[in-house]
Amino acid sequence: MSTAEDLTSAVDDLFTIATRELRTVVRTPAVVALAVVFALTVVGVAAAGSGARGGYVPLVLDLLPFVEALVPLLGFALCYRTVLADRRSGELDVLRTFGVERAAYIGGVFLGRSLALVAVVFGSLFVAAATVPVLSPPDPTFLALNAAADSPVAFVRFAVLTVVFALTTAAVALAVSAAARTARQAIALAVGLLVAFVVGVDAATVAGLAAGRFGIDAVPYLLAASPNGAFRSLVFGVAVETGQATTPLVALVGLGGWLAGALFVAVVTAWKPVE
Amino acid sequence: MSDRDGMVREVASERDSTSESVSAPSHVAIEATGLSHAFGDVVVLDDVTLSVEPGEIVALVGPNGSGKTTLLQFLSKVRAPDSGTVTIGAGDRTRVGYLPQRPEFREGFTVADTLRFYTQFVEEGVDIGTTLDRVGLSGAADRRVEALSGGMTRLLGLGRALVGDPDVVVLDEPASGLDPGMVERLFEIVAELADEGTAVVLSSHNLGPVERTADRVVILDGGRFVATGSPQELVESAGATDLQTAFGALVSTEEVEGR
Repeated sequence: MSTAEDLTSAVDDLFTIATRELRTVVRTPAVVALAVVFALTVVGVAAAGSGARGGYVPLVLDLLPFVEALVPLLGFALCYRTVLADRRSGELDVLRTFGVERAAYIGGVFLGRSLALVAVVFGSLFVAAATVPVLSPPDPTFLALNAAADSPVAFVRFAVLTVVFALTTAAVALAVSAAARTARQAIALAVGLLVAFVVGVDAATVAGLAAGRFGIDAVPYLLAASPNGAFRSLVFGVAVETGQATTPLVALVGLGGWLAGALFVAVVTAWKPVE
Repeated sequence: MSDRDGMVREVASERDSTSESVSAPSHVAIEATGLSHAFGDVVVLDDVTLSVEPGEIVALVGPNGSGKTTLLQFLSKVRAPDSGTVTIGAGDRTRVGYLPQRPEFREGFTVADTLRFYTQFVEEGVDIGTTLDRVGLSGAADRRVEALSGGMTRLLGLGRALVGDPDVVVLDEPASGLDPGMVERLFEIVAELADEGTAVVLSSHNLGPVERTADRVVILDGGRFVATGSPQELVESAGATDLQTAFGALVSTEEVEGR
């Protein structure tokens, strides 16, 4: 078989696996329930908070803390046991006898689970954004308004960044599921990383600043070390445009690094090839 | 090749042999040479060599923990030994149909869905109905896999192993959990596969059907082949009346503790 045929076969395998993953997700009640909770929370925050009444940017600021906490939870719930479950059931071994490559397998799992994740995250944010025109008071006619101060574009940027953030957390969870050899290991790794992402890195940064171990200039780099910090920096730098001096490039590299690094770890640890 | 053809390709039954070397035939389905493996301090396979021809049925028998599953994983190329080599067919792309010792399937999918998923990994078109017929699961095609009995789950595992008509099939205790009628049917399927030219290596504790079906029986004890030959030869060499009795005479089970 030629290299081109190998590649075609690997892509076919990837889509076959992705399809099964997607079908599995929609048949898993716990994951569906969590997705519903996520969607209700996001829409509820938009409807009940004051953000939607003020416009798209205030809504982003309202949603940000909830999204930062809930997206990793959803990503981890979707992916943290996927590879491990296939390994424990023996299906990984059998898939290998069909010539499925590691990259095709991990790529397929990631694609299938990510499609579900993106649909839930983007769909929820879309509904939340739809509340803005409904809940916002009509523009006063006696003021000259600057459209650049608040626009749906800011929310779209936020939604796109949230999707990238969600994909990153899913990739990290997939790496956990591939690297862990027991369910206990997977749970310990998943909980440890979740806590580190959601509060650990921020707390360590504040503690380091308070103790004088590093200056304020180091903060963007430290925040970029966790997906949550990098996501937050990107939201403030790209979506909300607070005019901060630091370029969001560091945060972008941080988030992209976690995404690529996690997928690499997942591929390498999925199984050891037999020559 | 099978007893039905009146041919035997290997005769050796030295109880203390450390390795069964076989001269490579012109074309082999499986060529495993010098396989050794240990889990920590426990040696599970010690310099094992095995060659299987197309159409041959080789049965691995031995006490629990004697290294059968590990050897079958090496032959299936889902695990690599510490040392030694395994070559399957003419090239690396020959697929091995593999039935693990405890097959499990993703819940929420039907029997037909499950087989259909695996058929997508083979190039030639596969008729799921034919496969289900072959393993006796036609009536359960629409049943969810979590609703299958242990024996039916194993039959589905066998069906999955046969997807794409592989040239080599490795079955780890395929008869475990099956009722006597299904055991007989399973060994009939194995015989049919061999008649079609498929090389079959299986492990089993069902020595009656093994004695009737296998071309060659390899007795594994303590990570080594302690006897190998046709069922009839093993029975005669042990001065026994059947394979079950011969097995008892050839294996010292107290040596396998902890393996």
